[in-house]
Amino acid sequence: MNLGISATEFTSQVSDGAISVEEFVAKTLDRIEKVDGNIRAFITVDSQNALGKARVIDKKIKSKEKIGICFGMPISIKDNICTAGLKTTCASKMLESFVAPYDATVISKLKSEDAIIIGKVNLDEFAMGSTTEFSHFGPTRNPWNIEYVPGGSSGGSGASVAALECLAALGSDTGGSVRSPASFCSVVGLKPTYGLISRYGLVSYANSIEQVGPMAKTVEDVAFLLNIISGHDAHDNTTAKNTRIDYVKDLKSGISGKKIGIISQMTGDGVDKEVECATNGAISKLQDLGAQCVPVSIDAVEHSVAAYYTIAAAEASSNLSRYDNLRYGFDFGIEGYEFKAFISKARSNFGPEVIRRMLLGAFVLSAGYYGKYYLKAQKVRTMIKAQLDEAFKNVDYLISPTMPILPFKIGEKIDDPLKLYLTDINTVTANLSGIPAISIPFAMSRSGLPIGIQLFANSFKEKELLQAAHALQETTKLPGIAI
Amino acid sequence: MVEKKEIEHLADLVKVNLSEPEKYIKQVEQILNYFDRLDKVEFQSDETLGIQITTEDLRDDVHIPYEDSLIEHLKKDQNNFIRAPKMV
Repeated sequence: MNLGISATEFTSQVSDGAISVEEFVAKTLDRIEKVDGNIRAFITVDSQNALGKARVIDKKIKSKEKIGICFGMPISIKDNICTAGLKTTCASKMLESFVAPYDATVISKLKSEDAIIIGKVNLDEFAMGSTTEFSHFGPTRNPWNIEYVPGGSSGGSGASVAALECLAALGSDTGGSVRSPASFCSVVGLKPTYGLISRYGLVSYANSIEQVGPMAKTVEDVAFLLNIISGHDAHDNTTAKNTRIDYVKDLKSGISGKKIGIISQMTGDGVDKEVECATNGAISKLQDLGAQCVPVSIDAVEHSVAAYYTIAAAEASSNLSRYDNLRYGFDFGIEGYEFKAFISKARSNFGPEVIRRMLLGAFVLSAGYYGKYYLKAQKVRTMIKAQLDEAFKNVDYLISPTMPILPFKIGEKIDDPLKLYLTDINTVTANLSGIPAISIPFAMSRSGLPIGIQLFANSFKEKELLQAAHALQETTKLPGIAI
Repeated sequence: MVEKKEIEHLADLVKVNLSEPEKYIKQVEQILNYFDRLDKVEFQSDETLGIQITTEDLRDDVHIPYEDSLIEHLKKDQNNFIRAPKMV
């Protein structure tokens, strides 16, 4: 049995009776057992439940009962998305024992289509980071070379898909947290338009910019998952209405006659030579398919990292004020403490990156500085949106490398937060403006590390975006992970 | 310049005991220096983005009793109350 098949290949093989769900899930669990000691993608593996569900689904198939379109597909879930009865730790000591009493909307939707939640995967604490090194449970490693970071913050999601420990994963993307690990681990990752997918049950970090996003081996799989998890939700007032579209249908329409803008600010200085070369390669492949590629300038991109971190830190410092270690959290007695002293002592157990962002957030929102930082950041955000709207009057898509650099070694940048922040230069624009963006694996560096290409489209144009992503995917044949 | 006093004040605002405030001084300062570029951007409009939700889209303001499952996993609870340290 081949664990390297795509999620959609899995569903057709199961429905044809070629493979049983129990066999596939058991084999996947063996795989996790065998490789995850090195990769460390998982925080929780739900073996018993997964196998039990697999058996139930096999039985239903045998007796020809109605079955959900996932057919028991094993999926890993970033550990900041609530799953009833299964721990949701956010990779933080502050939530190390937290069991959510309810399922996030995206989880209920997956379950109702008979997906199997095989486990919860690692992230930077509360999704704050871009390498998955800032986890209370230790770093996840890149399956392509375990000395390297897998990207982040959804590093566990990206690594678990690449290492064949599941068929697909959910991540969340606040400033590139789905696309960075997708690029570094050679999988497909989509940051959907703000409002396309419900955030109900996603533990909040920066509400105004974050979205749940699907990650998988192929564009088809991502489109398949998006069909399931998107749509309006009464529990999330920021979800848009009337957004139900079939993303799988017409996926192979191609991009002939389309116009693609190459974002100058994301392809010039500071981009690694091999990444630049891969980007040019992708552009010429798209031209071969009949697309027209033209340079486009979005000069507000130059302020995007500063604006993004100002807004994200401000929202983080406010969101994280709720963690007091009283209702849930780690074992720490209250005896002998005064209220505030207890809370401040308990909260000193946040990791360094979370503390850094809370301090920054408190600073940019404080009297006297609000106008200088937060308000200006919001204006930059408006400016980026306006410039993108202008660009999309002339082009259908925008293109850039997903990450300006190749995956780097674990520990290499951990002591230099600003340097780490600057690696988000190509991804934060989509979050600040709300538009969708996707990372597609495109090339391998000479040293065997993945390079991803990013495509953007205008808000709620996921269908067109996935068509272009599919066209690009078909131009390249990349190696899979050795089993 | 960010000073130790300032970092300690911020830590107090976000309710965190910092064992080594010095560790954060240089990093926070460096990041804030980078943020300073926001103050130099020239804007053509004063607008800021926002999400507008009309009041009809909000749920009705009615009391919904909680279910027991919501408090099952709470720690330190005694007869459905949460124990907290004394407020002086």
